[in-house]
Amino acid sequence: MKIIIDGKELEVEGKKTILNIAQENDIFIPSLCDHPRLAPFGGCRLCIVEIKGRKNYAPSCCTYADDGMEIKTKTPRLQRLRREILELILSEHPNACLICSEKENCDDYKSTIRKVGETTGCVLCSNNGRCELQDIVETQQIEQVKFPSFYRDFEVKKSDPFFDRNYNLCILCGRCVRICHEVRGASAIAFVNRGSQTVVGTVLDLPLLDSGCQFCGACVDVCPTGALTERAIKYEMLPEETKKSVCPLCSAGCELKIDLMGGKILGSKPSEDGAVNRGQACVKGRFIIRDLVYSPRRILKPLIRANKKLEEVSWEEALDFVTRRLKKYKGKEIALITSPQLSCEDNYLFQKFARERLKTENIGSSYSFSPLAVYHEMSQKNQLGLALNFKIRDISKAKVIFLLGEDLAVSHPLIWLEVLEAVKNGAKLIVASPNELPLNRFSSLWLQIKPGSEFHLLSFLSRILIENGGAGRLSRIEEFDSFKNSLNKLDISQVFEITGITEKELIKTARLLLEEEPAAFLFGMGLTQHPWGSQNVAALQNLALQTQAQLFPLGLENNLRGLFEVGRNYPDKGLAFNKIIQGASSGDIKALYLAGPMPYLNKAKLEFLVLQDCYINENFELADAVLPATTFAETEGTFINEEGRVQRFKKVVEPVGDAKPDWWVISQLACKMGNKGFNYKDVSGIMKEMSKVIPGFSNISYLKLENGKEIFIRDEKKRRKSFIPLKDNGPLYKTSKKYPYLLFVDYSLDYYRSLPLGRESLGLRKIRDSRWIKISPEDAKKLKLDEGESLRVESSSGSFNGFVKIIESMPKGTISTSLLWSEDSDFSAVSFFTGFFQEENALGMLPVKIKRGK
Amino acid sequence: MEKVIDEFDKDQRELIHLLHEIQKQFGYIPAHMISQIARQLKISESEIFGVLTFYKAFTLKPRGKHLITICMGTACHVRGAPKILDEFKRELSIEPGETSGDNLFTLETVNCVGACALGPIVIINGDYHGQMKTREVDKLIKICRQKNGKR
Repeated sequence: MKIIIDGKELEVEGKKTILNIAQENDIFIPSLCDHPRLAPFGGCRLCIVEIKGRKNYAPSCCTYADDGMEIKTKTPRLQRLRREILELILSEHPNACLICSEKENCDDYKSTIRKVGETTGCVLCSNNGRCELQDIVETQQIEQVKFPSFYRDFEVKKSDPFFDRNYNLCILCGRCVRICHEVRGASAIAFVNRGSQTVVGTVLDLPLLDSGCQFCGACVDVCPTGALTERAIKYEMLPEETKKSVCPLCSAGCELKIDLMGGKILGSKPSEDGAVNRGQACVKGRFIIRDLVYSPRRILKPLIRANKKLEEVSWEEALDFVTRRLKKYKGKEIALITSPQLSCEDNYLFQKFARERLKTENIGSSYSFSPLAVYHEMSQKNQLGLALNFKIRDISKAKVIFLLGEDLAVSHPLIWLEVLEAVKNGAKLIVASPNELPLNRFSSLWLQIKPGSEFHLLSFLSRILIENGGAGRLSRIEEFDSFKNSLNKLDISQVFEITGITEKELIKTARLLLEEEPAAFLFGMGLTQHPWGSQNVAALQNLALQTQAQLFPLGLENNLRGLFEVGRNYPDKGLAFNKIIQGASSGDIKALYLAGPMPYLNKAKLEFLVLQDCYINENFELADAVLPATTFAETEGTFINEEGRVQRFKKVVEPVGDAKPDWWVISQLACKMGNKGFNYKDVSGIMKEMSKVIPGFSNISYLKLENGKEIFIRDEKKRRKSFIPLKDNGPLYKTSKKYPYLLFVDYSLDYYRSLPLGRESLGLRKIRDSRWIKISPEDAKKLKLDEGESLRVESSSGSFNGFVKIIESMPKGTISTSLLWSEDSDFSAVSFFTGFFQEENALGMLPVKIKRGK
Repeated sequence: MEKVIDEFDKDQRELIHLLHEIQKQFGYIPAHMISQIARQLKISESEIFGVLTFYKAFTLKPRGKHLITICMGTACHVRGAPKILDEFKRELSIEPGETSGDNLFTLETVNCVGACALGPIVIINGDYHGQMKTREVDKLIKICRQKNGKR
């Protein structure tokens, strides 16, 4: 269709608002409440236009273009009306500076006056220079506000983590309320009261902490004024430079914009054109990046143990020392721990270094516990040849979503947004979880499953589906009969008791699963962490075949997929993570090289321990050599996210202290130990080699990535559909009189390298303290425990301390805590978790007893 | 209380009906019920708070036995509603929106009840008293007090 704006004829396709069309064609219409991610609202009325043939002025942000429309955006009458509207807005927003005739000269003279509690003008406002209202006033040439100014005199709300709320500056554009509701699904804030009394607020005016806020910062990012401001950078100057990077704090792979001043990180914001996040981030990517780079726990200098003490030395000395010591051991006596948070290039060099120089295959990492590992192993065992790549965006197109073993809104906030979008478009969400999650609000059905009983739930669902027909089409798929027989052999007489789910709920679930297509099954560590995790995934795979659903394994660490793809190249598998821990305690492993997180090794019989990390952790005091590594912001390379997307990240700031990139450290050591093969000038050389050596990387080139090309890692091509006969795994976890409670772990990924994020960020600690031990109100009452009280948890393998956190939705008889890798020794759950590390690939749950702490 | 809430469908469209029902049964919306409503209707607590502070029909504070509503619409205003309001304030020693210490009276103002010809208008427990005069205020209050004494 054709429309005319200001005499300019424009060709328009699809349903678009007049404002959008104008913006696309560089025609300026002022607006304060419109936002690309939000539905049209029409709140500020600044965007009014004249449409030929219409009596009234139309708000262009919520008027859709129609064929033949003639629109005028700049008539004198419109300009006058807009100025009037803006003056009304300004009458309730401190405006003296906005219309001051000498404002240009002001900044030079009033640079230190800004640190005041009350903002009465731009010079005192923390958002001076990054304020949309300021920009709009500039375009409307306002010299005087003829209405009496009104200061609403609200107290500035400063009690919540990360940002301040000063509603005296709020112009009620509603962007924050709308993004919280429409995009983030939290609805922690709403318009409260009516008419002139309207204000943005929370339920009963409680702090955001108590009103369901996730602290994603989306409201701060859309606020056009200084009403919402990030506290940490409130009185900083404007950033001099902004560089792009990729968030290393979960497997979604959000693109971040990192603001810099004087070569230091000011803060981080989500990038609008990030392929995965599209302008959104979560609390970690938005507020914690700076803290983790500038943590006071950063290791600044290389250290070696001399005369029983760690002493600072030069890199040359440290590398010589490590080389000399490592040479003493045979391959089998050496083990390395790498990290799925390191880049593909770093991990490739680790593999190569271990195999070619140290002659060992013992390279472990927390990858072994990931859903990806269990999923892949299951598919290998059954020769399925599963495709691992998927598109996160496809989740939003699903009509049925089954979520198992993950509090998605916490562990993968950006993937949760896709689920939310699907639900808004009418998808049915089924959640299977032992405790009630805030996200259950959006579910059509919540299955409150007893911990660890997923296998019974899934296999029973398969059986219902077969019994109710639908076998015709499926019977042609391989192994259908043996699968059916195996289902019939399962004892299902106690399924309702074992799972805690009623027959009615199970039938409803089965019906929902078949109702519509496409279906998406999302599963996390809660499904795979058990000793029988592989059978759980097999059962889910069968169910997915029956309902034609796609499986989405959700790992935690950002580069799990990269680590997996690099390791895929090597057929020999050495000792896995668990076995390395066992080897270190038994003395079979004599030298350990740590580049990834590891439980406290105080009981290990090691002769030589190298720590290559960014942060001082518990194992620091045990190390014989400490090599300071850079964080992701101080180096470059590629990550591969959950969906298989290859993401290049670049150096944003200079390294802190003498820290060096991991690939540099490894290649230097390798060069000292031998002549050939490790002479890399930079990471691009490593990637060039990888693309030749590893088939999966053959299509990757930095050049293409830098030109903005989307590259996915090469995936398995042959896909074999087959059912998998199921086996019952015997009894679930058993509690006893001595250990009457069941402990399970929360899987939110709140660590970077060996740093628990909650320890560095007080804000995050307020939201979810890693030292919390969550307990049901009934159990707390029985044990007479109060919130915040110290608590001691004991099992047959150890004990740890924490604080009571009463959670209404915790099932009776269970407690949960965070999966930590290192913490203050007082609160250390680490030594305790070695009890978990006995089975291959499994963390499982532990029968424990709880006592009041000292 | 759970009974009242459980009778409603798990549908957010039921919110206003549900709030009306609670207001009717308890005379106000007890703050601790907001989280229960949120769970039943699957909406956030802040959203519920937004709705219930928007409508004057809902209150978070218990109301007195006798709800006195004074119209402050244009017509009533011109005909002396502010004086009537002052008189009620003086007699009861409370401000609009407040409840007297003995929990007998709650004073409220509204902007027009659509009976402008009868202004100034005072509504007590749903009974309309038109063409009010300041000296009648005391009488009305006495009647209420007597009703209560008789019970």
